[in-house]
Amino acid sequence: MTVKQFFKSTAFKSLAVLIVIVLVAGALLAVFNDLLYVSDEERLARSLAKIYGTEVTAEEIELSEEERTYNNGTVDAVYYVQDDGNYLFQTTGKGGYSNGTVTLWTIITCTGSREENDLMLTGIEKVVYDSNSGQTLMGNFGESFYALFANQDELVAGGKDFTANENMTGDLNNIVAGASMTSTAICNAVNTALACFRTVFMGGEA
Amino acid sequence: MNGKIKHYGKIAYDGLITNNATFKLVLGTCATLGMSTSAVNSFGMGLSVTVVLLLSNVIISLLRKVIPNTVRIPAFVVIIATMVTLLRMVLEKYIPDLYDSMGVFLPLIVVNCVILGRAEAFASKQPVLDSAIDGIFTGLGLTCALTVIGIIREFLGSGSFFGIQVMDFKIGFFTNSAGAFFVYGICIALFVLITDQADKARRAKQARLLRVPAGDQPLPAVESSAEEVK
Repeated sequence: MTVKQFFKSTAFKSLAVLIVIVLVAGALLAVFNDLLYVSDEERLARSLAKIYGTEVTAEEIELSEEERTYNNGTVDAVYYVQDDGNYLFQTTGKGGYSNGTVTLWTIITCTGSREENDLMLTGIEKVVYDSNSGQTLMGNFGESFYALFANQDELVAGGKDFTANENMTGDLNNIVAGASMTSTAICNAVNTALACFRTVFMGGEA
Repeated sequence: MNGKIKHYGKIAYDGLITNNATFKLVLGTCATLGMSTSAVNSFGMGLSVTVVLLLSNVIISLLRKVIPNTVRIPAFVVIIATMVTLLRMVLEKYIPDLYDSMGVFLPLIVVNCVILGRAEAFASKQPVLDSAIDGIFTGLGLTCALTVIGIIREFLGSGSFFGIQVMDFKIGFFTNSAGAFFVYGICIALFVLITDQADKARRAKQARLLRVPAGDQPLPAVESSAEEVK
């Protein structure tokens, strides 16, 4: 086959059409990505509005790598909410479906202040879903599931953690039937926030 | 003009009822079962698929004479993937709640059989307007089917209707995969039963209309139509 024959062949035409389609699609996506980009600040503002239902002032607290990493999850960010004196944790829990994760926002209520070194955990005010990786049944987790985390202040203040165990019943067992692995990742995310508060902010042991 | 309206009406009816993607062709089952835990999620998924179907059908129909037959499938996949990615960006920016709840099912629209199926069977062979109507009505057929399944599963599984708590009971089975299959199967059976009955009634009515009164001379064309109906 000569070069001239190649340029006239169906193979060349097919290749050219595919390349043009891919290039146009790529250019279109690049333009739209620029137009519809969601910045980190916008994400945070959106999350805060979703959590509190109103605008609040939050100050980010810097943590070291060691302070962020726990057995069943990681702390992505911590904010001190100046409006109510509580701490807002963004944590990712491991152990979800297909080794995936779930990221949540947890508001931890407390008494005392960090400066005075007398912070005491009093409970969880609210848990709000943020995002997930690889979880297919997130739609099964409704308001009532997340509300259970906020109704156990006494036990949480006493140092207990949440669990998602199908064979167990109890106040701190929080599980959605049929989505036990995602439930585990959610509990791990909440427990990570509690562990971080207890070790870093209260100076205890995880 | 009347013939054109009839033609478009037939495309719309086929997309909604005759070739209903969910209940008749049983396509896109993965998304149907996964997203139908609540009515809102089902409705959102259905509308997302409708938008992608419409856009991809129009583009594929526009390019049907340019895309060589040998590379049509990869070309369709690139076009559909582009449309899905654009939809993801729009949802993330403007409807973040729906974007979050759709999770992995949103990017999976790329491999939804309904979209590739309509591109291959319809849009790659038909004019733009026909393809657009087919995209809209196939998508709406899927949206209605998904929403019906979502309403049933949400009501029985959580006692709520579009997120509003109406009953104080929960049957966990309906929020599980087994419950999804169960509701899906019942819905398919009911849909087929209803459409079959309607079809039978329509044929009987047509046959009655075509029956010639005694003594009159039957027209040949009418006679052949009556034969077809029988």
